[in-house]
Amino acid sequence: MKPFLSAILIIFLSAAAAQAQGHLDVQTIVQKEEVIVNDAGESEKRLVAAEVVVPGESVFYTITFTNVSAEPADNVVITNPIAEDLMYIDGSAFGPGMDILFSVDGGETFAAANELTVVEDGEVRGAEAADFTHVRWVMQNDLEAGAQGTARFAAVLE
Amino acid sequence: METANFEFASVFAWMRRISLLCLCCALNGPAGAVGTAVGTAIENTAVVSYDLAGTPLTLQSNTTTLAVAERINVAVTLQSPQTPVAPGETGSALLFTVTNTGNGTETFQLSIDSLVAGDDFDPTPAVPEIYFDTDGSGDFNGGDQPYAPGTNDPDLLADESISVFIVNDIPAGVANGQTGRSDLIATSATGTGLPGTVYAGSGDGGLNAVIGATGGEALDTGEYLVSDVLVSAVKSQLVSDPFGGTEPIPGATLTYTIVVNVNNAGTAAASVVRDTIPTFSTYLPNSITLNGGAISDLADTDAGEFDNSGTPAVVVRLGDLTQANNPQTITFQVVID
Repeated sequence: MKPFLSAILIIFLSAAAAQAQGHLDVQTIVQKEEVIVNDAGESEKRLVAAEVVVPGESVFYTITFTNVSAEPADNVVITNPIAEDLMYIDGSAFGPGMDILFSVDGGETFAAANELTVVEDGEVRGAEAADFTHVRWVMQNDLEAGAQGTARFAAVLE
Repeated sequence: METANFEFASVFAWMRRISLLCLCCALNGPAGAVGTAVGTAIENTAVVSYDLAGTPLTLQSNTTTLAVAERINVAVTLQSPQTPVAPGETGSALLFTVTNTGNGTETFQLSIDSLVAGDDFDPTPAVPEIYFDTDGSGDFNGGDQPYAPGTNDPDLLADESISVFIVNDIPAGVANGQTGRSDLIATSATGTGLPGTVYAGSGDGGLNAVIGATGGEALDTGEYLVSDVLVSAVKSQLVSDPFGGTEPIPGATLTYTIVVNVNNAGTAAASVVRDTIPTFSTYLPNSITLNGGAISDLADTDAGEFDNSGTPAVVVRLGDLTQANNPQTITFQVVID
């Protein structure tokens, strides 16, 4: 019961913080795929809220941010850590009008996926999805007053 | 409205793309990995930084929390090589390991199936038919406890293994070279089903249990080979007297030669030749050879010795013999008293 309460508390506090800032409203949701049979008897996939997952299952994070101030926001950067037990799914990060960067050093530095390297057994190799510790979306243009943006990525539970 | 439509279209295009990507990572996933432990909480918070009227600001999103549920997976792996048996042999064991490859603690039920396709005869399960390798020796023996379904079903932690024997009797009428197969099957006590089947609240800590890739059940197949091996040993002697002749007189040396051959298919396991020294004679020290190579008289790491502890005898261990090892030639010498 306790972890549940503290999770609610965190949501409440961060929502309060967003209101205190009064500029951007940021919400994150996590979903997973569910296969349903539609009226025509066909199987189709849809995303549903994820609360419980098992190893090997994929989860889909969506971050929605809205400029609730009267002025444009510039240099908008969204950074999301990839939890230790999750492995980023290669190519899944997505964000209209945004450059997508990654970190392989715990969020110290960021670069495009194909520019990152890691050292393994004393040899330098190109970074792979499993090496990423953070995803970052950098807006190319200002976020105008009232405008909304969306950033997404997917990961698989190890 | 138009914006909303575009948004939905792009979400579905994105989902399709991710589905393909997921397939790739499932194929490339680490084999045998047990996965994140049941009950682990996976939290996620995004951080947004931006400038407003030249002032840099930072903001955190809400935190999402995922709970990791139990994934049920099991692996059964045969440990025994193809096992040689004789017609009518009873209590021949095959060793397997059962491994909990799920991410929580799980109870497994064990069963045997000796009516397996692709062999020449059906072994007959003994009573009892399944044992635990209680003493951890890897050999089936009197210290091993029988499995009683529903009474001592093994509880395995994530990634924990247990060694299990299945025991069969071999029918009397089988022929040399025929094979008989037998399966060990391990089944999750929580349930089985297609991968993804959910047993609500049945997992560790009352979380859901979800059937993994193995369907909550696994088996492996062991094989018996009827190996009624025919081995021949032919002994001959050569006399050499002290005067350069071949008379068996006192002081003459007798060189014995024993030639061992396997005469049909199969393996004569752990073959040993033991030949006692004739009473009228005395063993000539350091005279044992195997296939032309010397063997010391001491009981040491080589293949034989002179055993003087009881009736004096020459002992040579030939190991597992097949027709490929023919012939094995042993020589030793004695002096007539």
